[in-house]
Amino acid sequence: MRAWWLLVWLASQAAGAGLEALPEFFRPDPFGEVVRADRGGGLGAFRNGVALQAARGGYVSFHLLAKVPESGPYTLSLSFPEAVKAELFREWFHFTERDKSYYPDALIPVSLPYRSRLPEPDNRIEKQTAQAFWVDLWIGREAKPGTYKGQASLETAEGRASLPIELKVLPALIPEEDVVTMDHNSYGSSWIADFFGRQRKDFFESDEFFNLIHAYHRIFYEHRGVFHQLGYGHGGKVGPEFAPALEGSGRNRRISSWRLYDRHYGPLLDGSAFAGTRRGARPIPFVYLPINPEWPASFLWWGEPGYEAEFVNVVSEMERHFREKGWTKTRFEMFFNHKKRYKAFPWDGDETRFPEDLRYYVEYARLLKKAVPEETPVRFVFRADASWMMERQFKELAGVVNFWVCGGSEFGWYQYAPRMLKQRGDIIWFYGGTPVVSEVSSAITTNPLKAWIWGVDGYVHWLTVSPGRDPWFHFEGGGTALVYPGERFGIRAPIPSLRLKLQRNCVQDIALLDSFQGKRSLESLKAEAARRYNGSKPQEWWMPRPALADLPPWEWTNSSIDEAARPGRRLFTGLDAAAWQRVRDFALQLAGEER
Amino acid sequence: MRTRILFGLSILVALPACAQPDSMARQLDEVARVATVMVDGDVCQRIVTPRAMKYMLKVDPRDRWLGSDNFDVNHEAYIQTKKTLLRLARLASFPCDVNLWMPLQTDPPKIQIVIRNTNEMSQFWPWGTLYQDMIPQMKTVLETGRRMTVQDKPGWISVLAPVYNSLGDVVGVVEAVSRLERDARENVK
Repeated sequence: MRAWWLLVWLASQAAGAGLEALPEFFRPDPFGEVVRADRGGGLGAFRNGVALQAARGGYVSFHLLAKVPESGPYTLSLSFPEAVKAELFREWFHFTERDKSYYPDALIPVSLPYRSRLPEPDNRIEKQTAQAFWVDLWIGREAKPGTYKGQASLETAEGRASLPIELKVLPALIPEEDVVTMDHNSYGSSWIADFFGRQRKDFFESDEFFNLIHAYHRIFYEHRGVFHQLGYGHGGKVGPEFAPALEGSGRNRRISSWRLYDRHYGPLLDGSAFAGTRRGARPIPFVYLPINPEWPASFLWWGEPGYEAEFVNVVSEMERHFREKGWTKTRFEMFFNHKKRYKAFPWDGDETRFPEDLRYYVEYARLLKKAVPEETPVRFVFRADASWMMERQFKELAGVVNFWVCGGSEFGWYQYAPRMLKQRGDIIWFYGGTPVVSEVSSAITTNPLKAWIWGVDGYVHWLTVSPGRDPWFHFEGGGTALVYPGERFGIRAPIPSLRLKLQRNCVQDIALLDSFQGKRSLESLKAEAARRYNGSKPQEWWMPRPALADLPPWEWTNSSIDEAARPGRRLFTGLDAAAWQRVRDFALQLAGEER
Repeated sequence: MRTRILFGLSILVALPACAQPDSMARQLDEVARVATVMVDGDVCQRIVTPRAMKYMLKVDPRDRWLGSDNFDVNHEAYIQTKKTLLRLARLASFPCDVNLWMPLQTDPPKIQIVIRNTNEMSQFWPWGTLYQDMIPQMKTVLETGRRMTVQDKPGWISVLAPVYNSLGDVVGVVEAVSRLERDARENVK
């Protein structure tokens, strides 16, 4: 009675070959089993055939497993009534060196019917007997509530198998706006050329380059996420497409060209880059500015009138340009990412640790205030990524910084912080890594749920576009990737990961759950979600303040932080694959009560 | 007189577009020569704090970031020196950086880059390294006080020059560096 429960044998199976379906959190391997990480614990959904339930305005997903034990060709088909849009992705099985196992993660879009053979030629897995497919069913907001019947079928040399799929569409609507922002970070743009076009000399000026940038934004947007690309280095060098070109010096410093900046950001800031997506054409909600200690003002003039003149001239021009273009929906972030360990500036902008560095924040806030008219409709924010001394920064930089991105471990010690920061109108995200594929599938839902339970606005995956040197055959686990380059499959665009799909579905569930606040108190919704997720109480998602927090941060060490954060991690050891499904069942139960 | 000035200006303006290795090397050598005069070695010696130096060389198997997380500088000395380096870089007619390197008192000898600059160029710094093995050419400069041109990486030119303190000791090295073909996105990460 382990995860085997979860395998649904189909009503009809050809001799040897067959079609099976698995709930989304139970990832299959290439031999027809559930991967070891997802086997323990709870019950999946498909006990009585593939019966799905969903609210409108969102996705419902599952795995289809084509089993061809004798190997050879097969054809997979999937049909649904017009109101339900079905999309099929072939699941790539990555071999991880660390545990010598296969995990599905990259999702290759395929058209229907899908014809191939086992072993799948490009995945090159000896004795592969099963190919997994991720199925996304999109239920539009206009879909009529009711039961829809679809069918998957598999044809092999041995015969034909079919699988009925029943989808109950509830009247409830998933809100279009998320209550938790899932952010996906990246650095620079040279990695795009590494994936798609390093050999082309004119690549960085080509339409294809800008289209690819937009495609990365689009894939995260379509998965209910946000994409960030930092455009400057630790020494202040700015990538040409991340900033307007400048000329002159001192009082004559000015913007000479918006050409590359507008090609890059125009379609993102007016939303046209997202035309044709299911979520519609909307401007990106957040964007890094290129401002750093060396841009737009030269650090040569730091502390002198020339620094202020250069900064204010250029940032004022930027405000005017954004206003004239009507780019007023996006928050433009003044954010300092540099660290003194990279030897270019004397203070830490990112993860500040030493108190004497705080004065620079105060000065930049003053400069920004001087550059931007008080009544501007353009939304400038001052973002700080804080860890060691966030508590002190919250106090000393009140009214200076208004967008906090906090280290997840330390933030868990300060339960009072969300209320305090929100009361003064600040935005709060926290940051950390991305669960690797060898962790239980539901691990990807912990941070979105934590953000909601903590009452903060979002979570940042610090790096999400870097799948490693050879993700296809020697995978490092995907701790820095939630998308993959599609180049290998003839797709000159990013392709999603399975973990990104799981995260999207979780984020839409949270939006749905949160929408029931009129029916139940927010606290009771959180309490029930936490109970179902891992048998916890929301209070337990905060850690007791450790003694370490009362020492000066420059006396902390990474090992002492690790030690202090251990109680928080304990809560999630033993998380089972069905953890999120139980939360979703709660959301759907409430949705089912809607009329 | 006016013709001569215009002629001189036109050479300076034309250089970035058609900079040749020889002319670049000459200009970088001049920048490095001036750097030796202008960069104050005593101030440089005050940049990295004693606490940062102590942690930099500590090894803790439980904390691989111990050195970098404790890296800190004296702001005044840092800013003063960085501004000098930024000014020096403006002597060249093409984009160049003037970086400061300083040796560590270790056996075997190590060296660290202490100040990098706007174009994020260096022929010797593996991105992100806090300190590294002594670079043989820098060792020579530190021992002899002689300037040295290095073109080990194709398309790169660095001129290394000594930095003196008030006692006349060579306490550091400036690297005046540029590339024949700039990579606009290198180190934007």
